Amino acid sequence: MDETPFQMDTRGAFSMPENHKFDAGYGLTEETIDYICDAKGEPDWLRQFRKDALKKFNEMPMPYHWAPEGIRNVDFENFRYYLSHGATPSRSWDEVPDDMKRTFERLGVPEQERAFLAGVDAQYDSETAYTNMREELQKQGVIFVNSTEGLKEYEHIFRPWFGKVIPVGDNKFSALNHAAFSGGSFIYVPKGVKLTQPLQAYFRINSESMGQFERTLIIADEGAELMYMEGCTAPQYDSATLHSGVVELVALKGAKIQYVTVQNWSTNVYNLVIQRGLAMEDAEIRWIDCNLGSGLTMKYPAVVLQGRRARGEVVSISLAHSGQLQDTGARMIHAAPETTSNIVAKSISIGEGRASYRGEVKVLKGMKGCRNNTECDALLINPASRTDTYPAITVNGNASAVQHEASVSQVDEEMLFYLQQRGLTRAQAMSLAVNGFINDLVKEFPMEYSVELRRLIDLEMEDSIG
Amino acid sequence: MDFPQNMSMEEAFALAEAEAKLHAALQESQSRFESARIPDRLNEDWRFGRPHKYAAALAELLQSNTPSQGEASVQQAGEAAVPVSAADDDLKQTEMLMPTIGSDALLGLHLKRFGSGYVLYIEEDTTEPIHLYYKTETFYTPSTFIMVAPGVKACVVEHHEGLSPQAAMFATRNIQVAEGAELKVQLLSSGMQYYMCITDIQNMGGKVSQLTRHDSHTWAREETVAEIYAAGSDIQLFSANLPTSQVLDQHTRQIHHVGGATSNLLYKNVLDGTATATFAGNIYVAPGAHHTDAYQSNRNLLLSENATVNSLPGLEILADKVRCSHGSASAPVDEEQLFYLLTRGIPRNEAIALLAGGFLDDALEKYERT
Repeated sequence: MDETPFQMDTRGAFSMPENHKFDAGYGLTEETIDYICDAKGEPDWLRQFRKDALKKFNEMPMPYHWAPEGIRNVDFENFRYYLSHGATPSRSWDEVPDDMKRTFERLGVPEQERAFLAGVDAQYDSETAYTNMREELQKQGVIFVNSTEGLKEYEHIFRPWFGKVIPVGDNKFSALNHAAFSGGSFIYVPKGVKLTQPLQAYFRINSESMGQFERTLIIADEGAELMYMEGCTAPQYDSATLHSGVVELVALKGAKIQYVTVQNWSTNVYNLVIQRGLAMEDAEIRWIDCNLGSGLTMKYPAVVLQGRRARGEVVSISLAHSGQLQDTGARMIHAAPETTSNIVAKSISIGEGRASYRGEVKVLKGMKGCRNNTECDALLINPASRTDTYPAITVNGNASAVQHEASVSQVDEEMLFYLQQRGLTRAQAMSLAVNGFINDLVKEFPMEYSVELRRLIDLEMEDSIG
Repeated sequence: MDFPQNMSMEEAFALAEAEAKLHAALQESQSRFESARIPDRLNEDWRFGRPHKYAAALAELLQSNTPSQGEASVQQAGEAAVPVSAADDDLKQTEMLMPTIGSDALLGLHLKRFGSGYVLYIEEDTTEPIHLYYKTETFYTPSTFIMVAPGVKACVVEHHEGLSPQAAMFATRNIQVAEGAELKVQLLSSGMQYYMCITDIQNMGGKVSQLTRHDSHTWAREETVAEIYAAGSDIQLFSANLPTSQVLDQHTRQIHHVGGATSNLLYKNVLDGTATATFAGNIYVAPGAHHTDAYQSNRNLLLSENATVNSLPGLEILADKVRCSHGSASAPVDEEQLFYLLTRGIPRNEAIALLAGGFLDDALEKYERT
């Protein structure tokens, strides 16, 4: 295989002039929290809540059993924790500032695409800059707002579930998010409402050393169904940017939630996200996850199967090129009988990239008839590429079956030869092979994402194969 | 330094360089023992291993005044077997350089009690297996060294036996297999309150297959590191156990320092009663170790609702052109198989015993066939 040095990724390597109304400065202290609360006009209970979380964050150690070495390099003093253009989200496209529109256009989000989107909650920096909710959604009683508005307007629904799926003290980064959160979505789908169109949010980071601490809570009431899509692209910067989001899903009896993420940030971003869903009786939660960008990603979507016959699934694609560590995986906690879960993870390592799978499957004591299936496949493109698999599987009792399988391989030289002989360039042949490797997973993504994904893989292969 | 009379300048330099390298490695080892902490909850290699209970108990024994007392004997070895002497610096250095899986501090304490056990210098093919026995009623810390010369075929069976309910043993095993050599080795341990064994297999181009079985211990921990140093090496690791009320903690590493070699692992456990079994394996393929084939498989059969399995099969691949896979499965007895046996008039208990036996026989037969 050709040993060409990896070329720097220049896609998204641009930035717009920064023009923030609120800027909490570097580092996280009680003053920062006061600043955030004042800027957002938050109630006192939340201010106290944030301060308690900060205390916990400072006390807690970095994760040790469940973390790659790179995490130790994070210096929390070097980040800004709150930036905003103002607390009131823009209501219509015309009100969105021009420089933001330019960023959207540069990233290929055409204005007319809005027509297809059920609602757009476009996060520009820490605060939602643009929220557009279709009347139809409102008629069905669906709530789709940013988390600040959610806490203000719908406290009676939000607060009982706030920090319940992922508690403050869950780990250091959970505490960090509880202390500094801003932005993110709050969604409530009422009983029996089945949304046919996906809800979508675009995240953008546009400030150097900007911390994004999005906080998303999605509640699907009994029998409700929805799909939520989240895509990320960020301009490239010189110093590291920290992203530590918390996403909580609650699927009540018989509900179904699908959460789709495509993440393609520049490599100076630390992407440390906690995603966890709670599935009640007969409910289903699916995480469909694609990690292409960021220098260090630590992301293990989890499903706590809390009710009988609940089902959890994680479909994950990650791609690591030189300078990237994609530490992704999944967690399934079987806390009720007859629960089932499925994990399919595929990773591709290019150049000196490193992709790791870290997974946890746990069948608690006394749970009967639980089943889990885990498959991890890794593809190595260059001789210096690296892949790791670190699963941890715990089964209590003799009434559940769990299986895990992982394999590591590379693109078959004969196949490449055959394709090249037919007139394809090596990069095209490689791209075809890689797309074939992840094809069955790409199909799980909504159409426009899967098209985007294939385009991205093509680009990556052009970059890495001379 | 004394150099032999007839040595050329180049040879003398090479020897001096090797000595300097060894000296540096030993110093590094020394600092590793000094800086290591007794395994605790922060030690990732003791995850699920209850170090606060068992590592602490073993460390207490090692640090206590309880002398290392045991009986070491050997059968069918001829002149190959030599008792380990505390004064043998070469062997002590070999043990100093042994890798552990999160237990450096314990190995450091073991070294302070160095001086019992056997060395097997196997230079001729063995017709009958060499049997090595370590027995204790109290606490014993033997060291085994097995060195197989180039092209030699050998078979060794090691027995580690506890003779009283309070018996404890902490053994180390260093196995070196030269190019073209073939070694089949079994480790059979039984009947101890605390049992731990650290094994380091260094394969320089030979073929090694190992079977470990741990029976009726209260707590047993196995650390097996299999290292491949030359192309053409082959390592096969097997284990078959039936714990009923014990804690069994098995850790393995398959380290491919160079390419062009194969390693394979199959660990099978049947768990009954309140048994807890932890398996944590890892395949490491070093940068540039291309054309590696490495497999790892952990299978668990759960017979009791109070049994627990923790399985952590890992892969770390830093080279391409490799074929690596691992699998882990934990499940109860297959109802259909059980039903078939019941229809033939076999009582349920016997039927389960038959199925459990057949499950383990798979690993035993594969070892026999190597």
